[in-house]
Amino acid sequence: MLKIEHLTKIYEDGTKALDDVSLTVADGEFLVIVGLSGAGKSTLLRCINRLVEPTSGKIYLDDVDITAASPRELREIRLKIGMIFQQFNLVKRSSVLTNTLSGRLGYVSPWKSLVYRFPAQDVARAHANLERVGIAEKARARADTLSGGQQQRVGIARALMQEPKLMLADEPVASLDPATSHSVLKYLEQINKEDGITVICNLHFLSLARRYASRVIALKDGRLVFDGRPQEIDHRRFKEIYGEEAVQVEIGPDLTPEEATQAP
Amino acid sequence: MNNQRPPTNPASHLGPLRTSLLVLIIAAAYAYGFRVTKVNPYDLVTGLPNMRHIVLSLLQPDLFVRATEMQKADTPFLVRAESGAPEPPPATPPAKPGPSVEIYPGVAKPGDVIEVKGRDFKPDTPGAIYLIWVGDTRLGKIATDAQGSFATKVVLPGDVTQGDYWIEARVFRELNWYVPSETLILSLRLMLETIFLALIGTTFSVIFSIPLSFLGARNLMMGTPFGRATYYLSRTFFNLLRSIEVLIIVVIMAVVVGIGPFAGVLALAVHGIGALGKLYSESIESIDPGPIEAITATGASRLQVIAYAVVPQIVPQFIAFTLYRWDINVRMATVIGLVGGGGIGFILIQYINLLQWNQAGTAIWLIAIVVMAMDYASAVIREKIV
Repeated sequence: MLKIEHLTKIYEDGTKALDDVSLTVADGEFLVIVGLSGAGKSTLLRCINRLVEPTSGKIYLDDVDITAASPRELREIRLKIGMIFQQFNLVKRSSVLTNTLSGRLGYVSPWKSLVYRFPAQDVARAHANLERVGIAEKARARADTLSGGQQQRVGIARALMQEPKLMLADEPVASLDPATSHSVLKYLEQINKEDGITVICNLHFLSLARRYASRVIALKDGRLVFDGRPQEIDHRRFKEIYGEEAVQVEIGPDLTPEEATQAP
Repeated sequence: MNNQRPPTNPASHLGPLRTSLLVLIIAAAYAYGFRVTKVNPYDLVTGLPNMRHIVLSLLQPDLFVRATEMQKADTPFLVRAESGAPEPPPATPPAKPGPSVEIYPGVAKPGDVIEVKGRDFKPDTPGAIYLIWVGDTRLGKIATDAQGSFATKVVLPGDVTQGDYWIEARVFRELNWYVPSETLILSLRLMLETIFLALIGTTFSVIFSIPLSFLGARNLMMGTPFGRATYYLSRTFFNLLRSIEVLIIVVIMAVVVGIGPFAGVLALAVHGIGALGKLYSESIESIDPGPIEAITATGASRLQVIAYAVVPQIVPQFIAFTLYRWDINVRMATVIGLVGGGGIGFILIQYINLLQWNQAGTAIWLIAIVVMAMDYASAVIREKIV
């Protein structure tokens, strides 16, 4: 269980990215965070694994205080939190297999890993995870030879190497076309349902949130403005979250089975 | 940042007085500059013919010489205060096959005339008689007859000191092919030394500048106050080393380890740490921060993040910069010999000081060829890597 209490983040330039956000996420939830660009979604995710240091507030994962963890404890906590990114953040010149194996670094002996050696069972695990996201045959390819959707699947395989309890997904499909978006989100849905991994995912598209989320929260100017089931976001709530000028944008039905909604 | 202002003519702000003052200052600066640098076109024009000989010599480098076959024979010879018969009488040497020389008298005083006879040399071949003492002193020319014999009279120099020496007859026959000249062989050997001098110097600077470059990378070090201090310290260190000219470092190192290639290696290494450290740091700063974030998020340690997110991104650039530096160092290594740093510059400056322009030409041509080849090769390899 993830518990966030009164989380506030003010950046050095004075931007208040998060303003007193409190939230509890139960195990096994598929939580989608929606909101405009700059609403604080990415900051919230990065505070959870402390890629961004919170200014104040507490975050507990299974009653362990993440915000108070020492660097060594923090690395232990991060092992249990996988993360995937909008830009995939693969090492482009490295092979798909090496990228996948790098998700295991927290488990292996530091000195062996520095000479790029991994235990055989980790290599087997990497192949299994690549198999799981459907790109086993690409293991030897250089990461930058893959398409965007394939690269994001490598990102998922890399996160799975950590055997995480929690998966953070920061705009995982914002760089992908709608059809590919669905294939990536389906893998997230699969690890959520089959492995019971809690997923917290930032999304631009409300239609995608409606389709995949078990719960949706909305951020506006760093504050939590909605917390509920996806079906509860009606026209009035949409205007609250995205502003008066926002219109729901449809994406061609030939590209996606669902009706896509997009913030301006 | 404000680029919105309409373009204005700067002179319109100055007014005529300021403009003429500015012109006056510039004119004065150039007048002074020409005086202190003693610019003198007349000297250039009148002195130009002096260059003719040098340029012509440089264009005819000493590369190959006609191969020759030499035959020689010698006999002992004593220089005493009084001339006379050899004491003790020479034991008749066992009759060896091949050429032989006889002299009369076997003991002579400086300035005496000596008869020299030889036989069983190659027929009809020119040659010379030498006195072998401190060095080889040529006493006179000879030429063998159809039977391969010769007889001549030579005068012993007046300044020969008393002692036991040798008289040697040598005949030379030019053959129909050419061999590399001594200058070419020496230059090639020292050119090879130059290339390896540059290689070793570059290697040492790579070994030291790679770890330091991480400390001088803004994106890795700016997190903590200690890191920030380390960053500025490393960058200052690089700039300091870079700003000292290699030739100056060679002179200093020659005092420490003595004149020779090792002084050159150390100088290239020291200067190279500054130059490569800066280039490496900048290429670390230009990497994609995404993978660093991703690997950090997996719970990896700082060293693992560097090994998996930073190193793969910088390897091609590091190789390119290293080759580039080696290329520069080969060029530098050709001149550090001028001040005692070993390599081909060491003999080049000797040839120049002795006005041996043909030999200097050999070294200069070799330098030009090697530098151009390295330049081309490193450009091709760098293009393939990056």
